[in-house]
Amino acid sequence: MLRFLVKRILSAVLTLFAVTVLTFLMFFALPRDPVTGMCPKNCNPERLERVRQELGLRDPLVSQYAGYMKGIVTGRDLGSAQGGRCDAPCLGWSYVNNEAVTDTMARVLPVTLSIVIPAAILWLLLGVGLGMLSALRRGTWLDRVAIGFSLAGASMQLYFVGAVLLLVFVYTLRWLPVPGYTSLFDDPVRWASGLVLAWVSLAFLFSAIYARLFRAQMLETLSEDFVRTARAKGLTRTRVYGRHALRAAITPVVTVAGLDVGAALGGTVITETTFGIRGLGRTAVDAVRAGDLPTIMATVLIAAVFVVLANVLVDLLYAAIDPRVRLG
Amino acid sequence: MRPRVVAAASGAIALVVALGACTKNTGEGATVDTGRQQTGVIATDPKDSMGPAPAVEGAQPGGTFTIIRETPISHLDPQRTYSFAGLLAAPLFARFLTTFKDDGDGNLVLVGDLAETPGNNVNGDCKVWEFKIKDGVKFEDGRPVTAKEIAYGIARSFDPDLAGGPTYLQEWLADTPQYDTKWDFKANRTALPPGLTTPDDRTLRFEFARPRCDLPFAVSLPATAPLPPDKDTGVNLGNAPFSSGPYKVTRYQAGVEIVMERNEHWDAATDPVRHQYPDRFVWSFGPTPDAASNRVIADNGADQSALSWNYVPASLVARVAGDAALRSRTILSPTPSANQLVINNQRVTDLRVRQALNYAIDREGLVKVLGGQHVAAPMTTLMPPATIGYQAYDAYPAGPNGDLDKARELLGGQTPELVLGAADSSVEQQVATQIKGNLERAGFKITVRNIPDDAKLDEIKKKDNPWDLYLGSWAADWPSGASILPVLYDGRSIRAEGNSNQAYFNDPTINAEFDRVLALPPAEQGPEWAKLDERIMREQAPVVPLYVDVAYLVHGSKAGGIFVSSVFGYPSLVDAHVKP
Repeated sequence: MLRFLVKRILSAVLTLFAVTVLTFLMFFALPRDPVTGMCPKNCNPERLERVRQELGLRDPLVSQYAGYMKGIVTGRDLGSAQGGRCDAPCLGWSYVNNEAVTDTMARVLPVTLSIVIPAAILWLLLGVGLGMLSALRRGTWLDRVAIGFSLAGASMQLYFVGAVLLLVFVYTLRWLPVPGYTSLFDDPVRWASGLVLAWVSLAFLFSAIYARLFRAQMLETLSEDFVRTARAKGLTRTRVYGRHALRAAITPVVTVAGLDVGAALGGTVITETTFGIRGLGRTAVDAVRAGDLPTIMATVLIAAVFVVLANVLVDLLYAAIDPRVRLG
Repeated sequence: MRPRVVAAASGAIALVVALGACTKNTGEGATVDTGRQQTGVIATDPKDSMGPAPAVEGAQPGGTFTIIRETPISHLDPQRTYSFAGLLAAPLFARFLTTFKDDGDGNLVLVGDLAETPGNNVNGDCKVWEFKIKDGVKFEDGRPVTAKEIAYGIARSFDPDLAGGPTYLQEWLADTPQYDTKWDFKANRTALPPGLTTPDDRTLRFEFARPRCDLPFAVSLPATAPLPPDKDTGVNLGNAPFSSGPYKVTRYQAGVEIVMERNEHWDAATDPVRHQYPDRFVWSFGPTPDAASNRVIADNGADQSALSWNYVPASLVARVAGDAALRSRTILSPTPSANQLVINNQRVTDLRVRQALNYAIDREGLVKVLGGQHVAAPMTTLMPPATIGYQAYDAYPAGPNGDLDKARELLGGQTPELVLGAADSSVEQQVATQIKGNLERAGFKITVRNIPDDAKLDEIKKKDNPWDLYLGSWAADWPSGASILPVLYDGRSIRAEGNSNQAYFNDPTINAEFDRVLALPPAEQGPEWAKLDERIMREQAPVVPLYVDVAYLVHGSKAGGIFVSSVFGYPSLVDAHVKP
């Protein structure tokens, strides 16, 4: 187990290193000029050039990259134009937001986590529950309702579902406040009421896929010999389905869930846009629109961290769920 | 003795100015009123510059006024503020040397804000200006505002770390665009830039190498906000600006929310324009213009006293305009943002071709493509109607849809092949398609070449760009021809890149006229700019004037006192209040 963990962590670090190099090359080497965004309409080229030099943007790319990585590990001095000392993990300075990117990330990350984690719990419970019900009641009206639900979810778009929910529950019935983010620790009720529509929308769309996937897996598992054997040995249906079949059928779901949750944590752009909540996704899109390179870099890096972590977690869960999987 | 001020002896000098626009609620009908005669004034009587500002009818103190906006304000540091939102948020927490009294009905008066008057042109040559600072203006900690803190504010704008704000004062004082090479703020924190002095606590003096007759306008920008040196936190000032206005920033969450609450040291008696009605202003960032408009339209809870900062998006214009119940909650007004089809005069050298373009243009069709009268209003002049001295004219009268026959006649059977550079944004692509079809019907052959949206401005500012035509826009920093015509059409300013003169128009006779008018006292310049505007168009047709942007805003049922700033074209908040 320990060996597996060390190997996976090393592999994760290498992946992240590759991501930083590629992102740095892609964005910092592109002919985008962050200083232009700082420039008022009558700024002149000579002055812009001086600002570029003062900000170190004329340094060799390798030197800029080394400085960036050093900042993440040990922190660094960004100079008076960029807020002075920036403690580790220093992700640079945003010329657009006029603040340290680490501060921006510290602000928007809890928002995205607050959207994705409860939504993921909801969509997994709903998806697996519906899939299970559908498989066990195959051919009945319950199965048809569940299939219809998953078809509807799979064929809809979040910006449509979200808009309908907003129209009904916020603007017409007025049962819920306008979506927004409040810290869970400040006011749990406001936190939940401000995000519940985002959770429900995401859960509706994602659970559809999980319901179909789990139904197919469950049906396949139920036809396996070990299930028949377990039943023949006199085990109860609940024990057979809940303990043996469920564990076997859920493995692919865990794989997909790991990737989905990892990707969603990297930014739920459409959800955040639909509900007017500024998390990692909106921040990333705004940064791209504004040419805010340090923020783009940070969002890409954080998204990569989540995907890598989710994959490690999936591997660990495999071993826990399926005793046939041995880590090493 | 009454201080000598910008121009003349009467209490206020009325300038013949713009065809302004009604910026009130559109309860009486949702059409842009372009028939109002606007009056521009530079106040000369110190009484005009004193407070309190006239009470807003029906306004009561109390409540929270919310402004919902998609993107954050780029800088709250007054010396760095240059976005429309920043320029209109700044008056809530900062005072400036001068400011505009703007009643939303088209009457614009430049008055002293921190200064007793809009400035004293000491020798009448616009090279030496003095501003007497009012008594009784205080910072949020109760300290009095003196000339020294105002001078320090101006001095810190020389700091290259604080890039982003306007550079007029720095360039004028240093007499060079490379102002930060002439005076190093960091090395001279206790000194002042060349030409800026404070003979005493109540006097601020500017001395320029050349006439700077627009100074009273230039010092209406937030860059003249005062700051005590011990409160200067460098690039972090934008997170917690030090207030001299009616509100102070009490909470700043970058990209999420700004809360401004009453500054108890603000004295209404010293302030000619601002009020202090709401208990607090809350700027809430994040919702898209669609989401913000929908929230405000729904009129629920706190959104009843909210304003959607962004204009009503195209997707909602028809719905909002068609809903009679919303008329009392919408504002429709043309803005000073003028849009042109810019002709690259280096490439299109034939005057008849430029004139034919002007005759051919179908402005009505263009406005329809843009979304109708709630989005754009046609114009035929170089300066937008909100400019002091504005005179309406049409040098190439061709009706709302253009005169294709006249254009063909000027072309004399030729088919000029022109390249139209267009940003790859959806709006500009639609406009480019419309213009291509329009001009080709008049006998031109137009090739549309796409330019990445985020690179377009930089590219068309390059002298040797490869396009004959492109769409350009200009929003002046103050409503004077001096901030429009010489900036956009003085050929002596053309350089390799970074050009505001994107038509690359250079006529020595016109350049000499710029010098002549710029040397006139500000109050005499207005009509001269209007004459020069018409002359440039009639003699040279360097661009095709197209339209001005129209502000179309929606607010909650309890949000009152909002009007569209005649200077910046976005909501002014100085009269904002929450209705009971």
